[in-house]
Amino acid sequence: MKKFIGLVGTNSNKSTNRMLLQFMQNHFSSKAEIEIVEIRDIPVFNKPEDKQIPEIVQVIADKIDTADGVIISTPEYDHAVPASLMNALSWFSYGIFPFVDKPVMITGASYGTLGSSRAQLHLRQILDAPELKARIMPSSEFLLSHSLQAFGEENQLNNQDQVQKLEGLFEDFLAFVTITNQLNHAHAQNKKEAENFSWETI
Amino acid sequence: MKLVGIVGSNAEVSYNRTLLKFIQKQFSSLIDIEIIEIKDVPMFNQSDDQTNSPVIQNINRKILNADGVIIATPEHNHTIPAGLKSVLEWLSFKIHPLENKPVMIVGASYYDQGSSRAQLHLRQILDAPGVNAMVLPGNEFLLGKVKEAFDENENLKDQGTVGFLGSCLEKFIQFIKVVAVIEGPKKIELEPEDLYATGKIDTTIEGVDMYADDWLEQAAEKVGAVEGNTYVKLDRGLLTVDQLNYFLASMPMELTYADNNNQFLYYNQTKPAEEMLAARVPGQVGNPLAKCHPEKVHKNVGYVIQQLRSGAMDAFRVNVPTHGPDKYVVHNYQAMHDKEGNFAGINEFILDFKPIIDWYLKQTGQTLIGDVDAVSGASAKEKDHKEDVDAVSGASISEKEETKETVDAVSSASVKG
Repeated sequence: MKKFIGLVGTNSNKSTNRMLLQFMQNHFSSKAEIEIVEIRDIPVFNKPEDKQIPEIVQVIADKIDTADGVIISTPEYDHAVPASLMNALSWFSYGIFPFVDKPVMITGASYGTLGSSRAQLHLRQILDAPELKARIMPSSEFLLSHSLQAFGEENQLNNQDQVQKLEGLFEDFLAFVTITNQLNHAHAQNKKEAENFSWETI
Repeated sequence: MKLVGIVGSNAEVSYNRTLLKFIQKQFSSLIDIEIIEIKDVPMFNQSDDQTNSPVIQNINRKILNADGVIIATPEHNHTIPAGLKSVLEWLSFKIHPLENKPVMIVGASYYDQGSSRAQLHLRQILDAPGVNAMVLPGNEFLLGKVKEAFDENENLKDQGTVGFLGSCLEKFIQFIKVVAVIEGPKKIELEPEDLYATGKIDTTIEGVDMYADDWLEQAAEKVGAVEGNTYVKLDRGLLTVDQLNYFLASMPMELTYADNNNQFLYYNQTKPAEEMLAARVPGQVGNPLAKCHPEKVHKNVGYVIQQLRSGAMDAFRVNVPTHGPDKYVVHNYQAMHDKEGNFAGINEFILDFKPIIDWYLKQTGQTLIGDVDAVSGASAKEKDHKEDVDAVSGASISEKEETKETVDAVSSASVKG
């Protein structure tokens, strides 16, 4: 069975993105094991001279490293990804490179109508950066709008159309992970490039 | 034109900081920029509201009082740094200082992209409803290959780049004026001042009647105040209370201390009231400011304190012409702040500038040319003051007039006070 990390894209105590990941964790438990990981306690990125990575960052990076893929669920703050998620990704591209060639599925939930659409596009661009270089599942978008009203009492998604869409996308992601694993010929090279990448010398 | 420049990086070495410093230095005749740092701002977390922390409130106050903001952003992972995003999240959560504020974006990066993608993201972010800034369109200033861009004095080497930067800034100044027209006159609602000092701050001495003639004696006893040859450690030095008194008494001006609770706490008593430029009597010490001024000028006193407390003005000056042609007496109301930048009260110093000007003329062998206007230096002062007011309020003509009236009203008031 595939093993995924579900990364909660916010440090907030209350988050419908966390609820969405929890729903996926239950709903897809027969297909994959999803471990939900929080970014709440990651310290502010300060570009330490010695590249010493905080322990909590290293722990999460190791989990990502051994997982078959990562599902990131992001809210939208000011048309973009929350600072706390950007902060986590800054650490994950500073001397350690757990996202290189890692299959990533993006989901998002928002209180309003747009379902974090702009944050998701923003996140794709970030994950495409040379030191993250993730493999983002293309042509797929799961936008959960009006997320405060979206869940039932037992953390079930109320809208069956949305459940079906998510099921379809999740199947696709399983296939995408399998395909991506076959696209591993350049992985060693990609990893090396990310490690050797330097803005100083570009 | 008073601007705030935000360094978009929390790194110790940042070329974006260098760029802002260069703008500050190079274009000082066009604009007055205060550079602010974001490194002490905590990570935004909606479950842990720190909007009221001094660091965020300081940034808030500075942005509110500026005519415009310049943000210098690096690019991290195709976007702006998390630290800058965090600041913008705080500034769009419970408070919204950037709303309708003219903003210009600049950026520097190591490689030839010059922060292009970060700048586009920043535009989108500043456009979000909670931020709602007015971002200068076009005029994209991307500084690529920044490691080679500055000389050893941190000046931009390429004159073409300097020229382009200057033209972007000129456009921004025009843009600020256009935005002011779109927005109409600014209405800043400031809290009314409690001139009766009914509130309480950490240093307020309770249980002593503020109106008592011997407030000083009672209050000193209550807190066990030191005096005489007891040492007091200061920033930076060590003096006895006596030495401190000699020092303050020898200042060539009348000094008054009012705390941020609007209580009159101190003046440097050197002369009897009738010989002072502004009469003070020993029994006034401890009084609320309301007691120190006649009621009909309370409105104007309150206005001045509001400006200083809010940071809209750092100092307020007014000439009091009733001392005859031999003196040029100016009442200066100077805001005081603690180390965190919080308002700590008002330092009022009353000074006759005439001997200073006379001494200067004698030393340099110069004379004042012209009529009464030139001699008094009044028109120059007035002009300076008007510019200050302008910078603060971004004011329309009508506001300027209003402020002038207030100044006049205060000046006549202070004579009596």
